[in-house]
Formats: sequence, C-alpha cells, structure tokens
Amino acid sequence: MMKNDSLIKINSYLSFKLGDDEFAAHVGKVLNILELVKITPVPKSPEYMKGVINLRGAVLPIIDTRMKFGMSPTQFTQNTCIVVMEILMEKDTIQLGALVDSVLSVVEIEDDQIQPPPSLGSKYKSEFILGVAKVEEKFIMILDMDKVFSSDELILVMDSTEDL
Amino acid sequence: MAKTILIVDDSESIREVVKFTLENEGYTVLVGVDGKDALKFLDGQTIDLVITDLHMPNMDGIELIKHIRTIEAYKRIPILFLTTESQVSRKMEAKDAGATGWIIKPFVPTKLLEALKKVIR
Amino acid sequence: MSIDKFKDKFKEEASDNINDLENALLELEKNTTNKDLIERVFRAMHSLKGGGAMFGFTALSEFTHNLETLYDKVRNGLKVIDRKILDITFEAADHMKSLLADELMTNNEIKTKHKQLAANIESLISDDTQTDVIPKSGSSSESSIKTYYIYFEPNPDIFANGTNPLYLIDELNSLGNCKVFAHFNKIPPIDEIDINKCYTYWEILLATSTDENSIADVFIFVEDQCKLEIDEVADNDITIHADFIHAITRLAIEKKDVGIVEIKNLIKKLKLNANVALAELNEPEKRIESSKVKETTISSIRVSSIKLDQMMNLVSELVTTQARLTLFAEKTNNTELNAIVENMQKLSRQIRDNAFDIVLIPIETMLIRFQRLVRDLSQELKKNVVFEAIGAETELDKTIIETLTDPILHILRNCLDHGIELPEVRKKLGKPEQGKIILKSFYSGTNVHIQIIDDGAGIDPEKIRKKAIQKGIISENDELSDTEIFDLVFMPGFSTAENVTDVSGRGVGMDVVKRNINELRGDVVVDSEINKGTTLTIRLPLTLSIIDGLLVRIDNDLYVIPLSVVNKIHVVDHDSISSKFNNLIVLDGVQYSFFVLRNELGYKSEPPKTERLILVSYETGLVGLVVDEVFGENQAVLKSLGKLYKNQALISGATILGDGTVALVLDTNKMIKKFSKNSEIIN
Repeated sequence: MMKNDSLIKINSYLSFKLGDDEFAAHVGKVLNILELVKITPVPKSPEYMKGVINLRGAVLPIIDTRMKFGMSPTQFTQNTCIVVMEILMEKDTIQLGALVDSVLSVVEIEDDQIQPPPSLGSKYKSEFILGVAKVEEKFIMILDMDKVFSSDELILVMDSTEDL
Repeated sequence: MAKTILIVDDSESIREVVKFTLENEGYTVLVGVDGKDALKFLDGQTIDLVITDLHMPNMDGIELIKHIRTIEAYKRIPILFLTTESQVSRKMEAKDAGATGWIIKPFVPTKLLEALKKVIR
Repeated sequence: MSIDKFKDKFKEEASDNINDLENALLELEKNTTNKDLIERVFRAMHSLKGGGAMFGFTALSEFTHNLETLYDKVRNGLKVIDRKILDITFEAADHMKSLLADELMTNNEIKTKHKQLAANIESLISDDTQTDVIPKSGSSSESSIKTYYIYFEPNPDIFANGTNPLYLIDELNSLGNCKVFAHFNKIPPIDEIDINKCYTYWEILLATSTDENSIADVFIFVEDQCKLEIDEVADNDITIHADFIHAITRLAIEKKDVGIVEIKNLIKKLKLNANVALAELNEPEKRIESSKVKETTISSIRVSSIKLDQMMNLVSELVTTQARLTLFAEKTNNTELNAIVENMQKLSRQIRDNAFDIVLIPIETMLIRFQRLVRDLSQELKKNVVFEAIGAETELDKTIIETLTDPILHILRNCLDHGIELPEVRKKLGKPEQGKIILKSFYSGTNVHIQIIDDGAGIDPEKIRKKAIQKGIISENDELSDTEIFDLVFMPGFSTAENVTDVSGRGVGMDVVKRNINELRGDVVVDSEINKGTTLTIRLPLTLSIIDGLLVRIDNDLYVIPLSVVNKIHVVDHDSISSKFNNLIVLDGVQYSFFVLRNELGYKSEPPKTERLILVSYETGLVGLVVDEVFGENQAVLKSLGKLYKNQALISGATILGDGTVALVLDTNKMIKKFSKNSEIIN
C-alpha cells in the first residue's frame, strides 16, 4: 500500500479543511502556503480551474479543490489559502495552487497510525486516498495529491452523497 | 584600335621614357615639347588621354589643361599631369583647371601604367 | 629606340647610392641606434629599388625591396641593428655591385649568391625571436582577407575632369571579391537630366587582402571630388555568403542606400565576423589564452535545461520587479533614487536580452539533417532537387527545435516523394528540371512561421475530396472550401499517394505531424496549387518572448492584445453594437465583422455604455474586437500558462504586470477563427 519512497519516510503532513472534512497532504508535496491574492480567470476553461496568479514571476494555475471534490465553489474568507504543490502529471512535474478553506497544521503521523481507506461507506473514492489516520479523536484523510490533481474525475463518489 | 595618348614635356629624357613605356603597351603616342607645341595636335582628331608636365616654357601645363577643356571634342577626355611630391598647391590648381589625375615624379613604368588604368581602358 | 642610355645613367647613379650605403653602414656599426644613419641607409636602398624597377634591373629591385623591408622594421622600432643585420647588409651591398654589372645573373656564382642572400634576408625579416623588441600593433596579419564597405558618391560635375567613375569601380573589382550596388535614385526626371552630370552613386563590398590605404589609393584622383567612406566591416570574406549578399541586395533595392550601420547589423546578425564573435565571447580570457600556449579554450559549456528555466524565471521576475520599482521611484520624485533605478533598469534589460540569447537557438541547427535528407532521398528517387533555407537565423526555444525536427523531416519526405516530380515530367510541364524546396522561417507577431515550400505537383483538392468521401471522412453533400479540403490531409488514416512507396504515403504521418505541432501549441496549414507547388506553414507561438501589447480591460480583468495585429481603435456605443444583426458594423464607410469579447469569453456582468472596438488584422482582413476599456501600450514578458491549460485555445500566454497581477495575452487569430465557427453554427 505505502510507497517505498524516501519522501514518505518523513512523517509530516499538512492538514487542511474542505468544508467540515479534514484532509492531509504529505509535506514533500507542499512548496508554499500563500494568502489569497487576486486570481486572473482564464476564460473558457473548466469551472474548477480558477485561473492563474503570479508566483515569483511564474504563472501558477489555481484549482478550486472544493469543486474538484464535488463540493460547492470555495467561498473566499480570511481563512482561505492557496497551497502551492508539486504534482506529478504524465511524467512531468508541474506546480499548482490548491485553494483550501483553511490550513490547520503540520501533523506527525506515524505509518502505523495510518489505516487503509475504507472501501465502503466513504463518500470519497478510495483510489485518491492513501489512508485514514486518527489524530486527536479526529479522522484525517491522507490524499494522493498526484492522483487528485492529474485526474479529470471528480473525487466525490456521487452515489454515496445520498447517504449523508 | 590603339588608343592615342598625347604626352607633353620639355624634358627629353622624360618624354623618351614615357613614350617608350606607352608604345610598349601598344598605345599610339603623340609628343609635344611644351604647351604651345602640343596645341597643333588639338585639331579634333581622337585623343584618348593627355599626359602633361606642369612646368614648361611658352605655355605651361595649367594653361594647356584649361585650353584643352575649352575644346568640345576634348571636354571629357582624361588628362594626367606630372608633378613632384612637394607641389601640393599646384596639384589643386591643375585639378581646378580640369585635370583628371597626376603622376608623381620620379616614377617607374609600372606606376605610370597604374595611373593610366584609373582613367582609360 | 633604346633605353640603354638611361640605363647607363642609372648605373652611375646606383653606384653612388651603393657607396653611400656602405659609408652609412660603417657609421652605423659604431652607433647602431642613430636614427639619421638608419634613415640614410633606407634612402639609399629606396633609390636603388625605384631606379632598378624603372630601368629594368628587376633582380636588383626585388632584392633591395626585401632589404628595405628589413630596414623599415628597424626604422619602426620592430628590430634593432645587430651584428647579423649589419653583416648581411654589407654582403648585400657587394652583391648589388655585382648585379649592376650582371643584371641578368648570367654568372652562376652570382645567381647562387643571390638566392642564398635573399633567403637569409627573408629569414631575418620573419625572425621574431629577437629579444627586447616590443612589437607595435598593426605589424602582423598583412595578408588576411578582410571585407570593406565603400560608399562612393562622386560630385555631379566629376565628368568635367575627364574622370570615368566606372573605371575606379573596375579597379576596385581587380583588388578582390567585389559586390557593387549602384544607386540611381538621384537621377532626375528625363527632361531635367544634364548629360554632363553624374547622378549615380555606389555602395561596394570589397573583400581583399590589400589594406585600407591601397583602397583609398584607387580614389586618389577624385578624393576631393566625391563623398568617400571606407570602413572595414568584417575580418573575413563575407561576400561569399549567399544569404548575406541576398539580404543586402534586397535592402539595396528597397532602400535608397543600405548604409554601413545596416550592413554591420546584418553581419552581426548572421554572425559572419569570426574574430569579433569570438572576441565577444571570450574577451577576458583572451589575454590568458595567449600566454598559455596550446591550452584549449572552452568556447561553450553545457547547462541543464532546468537551470536555464530557473534563470529565465528569475530574469522575468527581475524584469517585473524592476517595472514596479520604476513605477514607485517615479512617484517619489527623488532624483537620486530615480537615477539609480534608471541605471538598474538598463542593467536588467541587458540581463534579460542576454538570457534570451542563451535560451534561444537558431533554426540553422536543424538544417544539416534536412539537407542530408533531401540529398539522399532525391538521389534514391532519381529526382533533381535543391534545398534552400531562408531566415535560418530565426531563433526558437531549444525544446521546440527538438520537437520540430521530426515533423519537418516527415514533411520534407512528403515533398520529395509526392511533391517534386521526376525531371522528365517537370520538363514536359515546362518547369526547370531541378525542383526546389525552400525552408523559410520568420517572425510574425507573437508567432514564428516556418514554411516548407516546394515547386512540385501541388495537391488536387478534387482528388482529396473524392478520397475523403470514399473514406467516409466527409459526405458527398459537404461543401468545403479549398482550405478546408487541404486540412483533410491531416486527418488520421488519410493518404493521397496513388502508389504507396517506401518513403511515405502510408497515411501515417501527417496526422502525427499535426499532433506534434499542436502539442507545441502551434498549428499547421496547407496551401497548394496544381503544378505550381505546395506551401505548408507551421505557426508556433513564441514561448519566450517580449511582446509589445495593448492593455485592455474586460469586466475586472486585464488582457493584452499583441500590438502587431492592432490596426485602429474606435469608440462605440454599446447600444449600437448590441443592435447590430449578424455582428457586422460599418466604420469609416467600411463594413467589418466584430465580436464582443465580454460575451464570447463568458462574462455575465453589465457592459459599460461606451465600449472600444479594436480593429485587428486577421487572415481574411480586419476584424473588430469589442472591449470595455483600452489602457495603452505595455511591454510584456510572455509566459506559458502551463500544462494544465494546454487545451486553452484563446490565450497564447500570460504576462505579469507592473503591480504583480497576471494579464492574459489573447491569441486573436485562434480566437477569431473559433468565434467565427461558432457564429456559423448559429447562423
């Protein structure tokens, strides 16, 4: 299940919130956390692709993570953040900014704390989830960021939303 | 057809050397001993080039050049004059009179032919 | 008639000169640095040389010439008088006496002596091991060929002195390789022409080993009767470069005169100046190099493309930050700050240009493979084909060049296989037996165009149509324009060749070519005329470039329209626009079709009362684009939107504005093409 990658051996994860759910991405994938700046929309592109911003002279595409997950568009608040990540996409490494409702903290999660994702009963597709960890009585879903952002699919399993 | 060159100089040795060199090259050469003497050739016959000294008795080179330029048939023929390195002011005078170029004395035959090349073919 | 009597006179004179020479040498032996004595020696030899040549003593003249060269070096401080030089000059003086007596060297002993002495003098001249002598500059490299630019404009009344300027041009021509451009633009209308006046002037490129003075000597008789300019423009013979001469010739025809500046620019652009190019690269290293003999110098280094990308990003960031700084400094009215900022701006611009220079490489680098292919394949196919490249200096991003090589090779294969006919076929058609394929590259706006042009059979649109119908790609009733028909060539599985050959015509390829080019965000179109030939145009966006743009606003967003396509801006009422049927508007008496960008791009907010209509040039003519507001010109570093937006067709890139926000650069051509297709469906 776990990739035998040197990245994984560091057990730090950045946790963030989308709606009421908590997610985490391995810090190896995270380059930077930015405050919200003006996003230049790119017309005629999918709705979850919010546009581009200037990141130190480079053009950084911004993804509305909530929409990618099948939720309503991100409402911009004081807590809204852009998490700059490095994503492996068809053999190329690209950078993108993921909009999240809020960034929580960096948490240490030991490998043995991570459970395999439940194949049933979750509203999220398991292929995008590396595992689930229980930290301080809360469940955090650890995401496979490469898969999340290189897929055109929505992460949410539509059928299971009815269960809510 | 051979080109005709008129040479005008009061010094016999110079006349001889120039005539010798030019005839060797296949030119037809007319010789005048001074400006006044040269006038007899300016009867409308074809002359392709005039080479003249500047210092001459009776009629000097400048006067000769001026005169040649007044004759319709010779208005645009090239005229070279012989001069020494030091006579810069004379050079200008001659050019103003209508000369085309000059040959600096003393000269070797190749220099003479080089100068010729600039003005006739 | 004999010259003998002059000869005798000369011999007398020459003996005097040789005596004088010997005297001077004896004095010189006691005082080797005395300038007057050296001058005396020199003068004696000069007279011997001149007289010798005039009176037929050729051997003497040539011999003294070499001695003179030696003493010229002494006179100019390049050599000092030493034992060796004095010994040989004494020997030479003795030998000159013999030469006067036996000018034709009938005596073998004299002949041997002559050869030996001449060789010794030669070696002394070229012997630079002599110590303590600092060579002065300009002493070496006499015989290398250089190219000079000569501007020669005779005074109108030059004929009055019997001068024929053409003879002077002819004389130049005898000095080396010569390209002459005569200019006739000063010739007045025929009824004003004075036949006694010269109206023509010339520009000449002369590649020669003679020096500037000798060139000036050609004009010695007329130097005060003309405008004359002689400048060295290159350190080698550049008249042999066909591309260069071609370009100059075009300029000479187009312009009144080309001018030295233009010529120098062109030389720089084509990198024809070997030493200069080298000097620019290794200026500081040069000195070190000369001291360390035979140590190879590094003229280029390999750098990973990641590092280059990083550098380019930093440079772009620097340029944008600089723009902000400039803006800020201007507001402060602090002259000292402004001066510093101005200087920094200059530096960052230089760094930017330099960085671009590093990342971009010319199309030229692909050419060898193309030439090779054309050569080999035309032989195999028994066709006679010449390949020509125009604009090969056009520069592209390295990665683009790499991706482009294979598609172009494929296109060339097609040209050779289907395009160019066999020589006998061409002959029958009244075409030259030798076919031609041209690879032409040039910049156009924010794009680079690469055209592959052949003068072959062309494509018959009717054939393609039938084939497409047969293959079920289009239906019998589809009415297609020629352009649309040619476009079918790029459909997967399409092939028109009647005989499938080993080379191409398997129907794989052109679709791949198009896909490869599309991946570079470019496109490719075919134009063809039967029996005239086919032109395939690849259009690629510049990935790295500074573009001059027009900054416009739509809703709250800023966009850049490349200034190169902008023709005119009109103020229009929104009401008048929205009431127009069929998106047609008449401006200044001409009808244009137009698109309201806020609608086309999907903005839903209220439009302003007055809007701006920008007329931009499009394939078929001018088309109007309506925006909310126009801000003005702006210089933008064009950046890619990245892989995530690769399906985005309307935007050619983004640029970062002075305040740090991002503005998108519109690809007007693609945009209009797309919009017109949409409206066709609506209509």
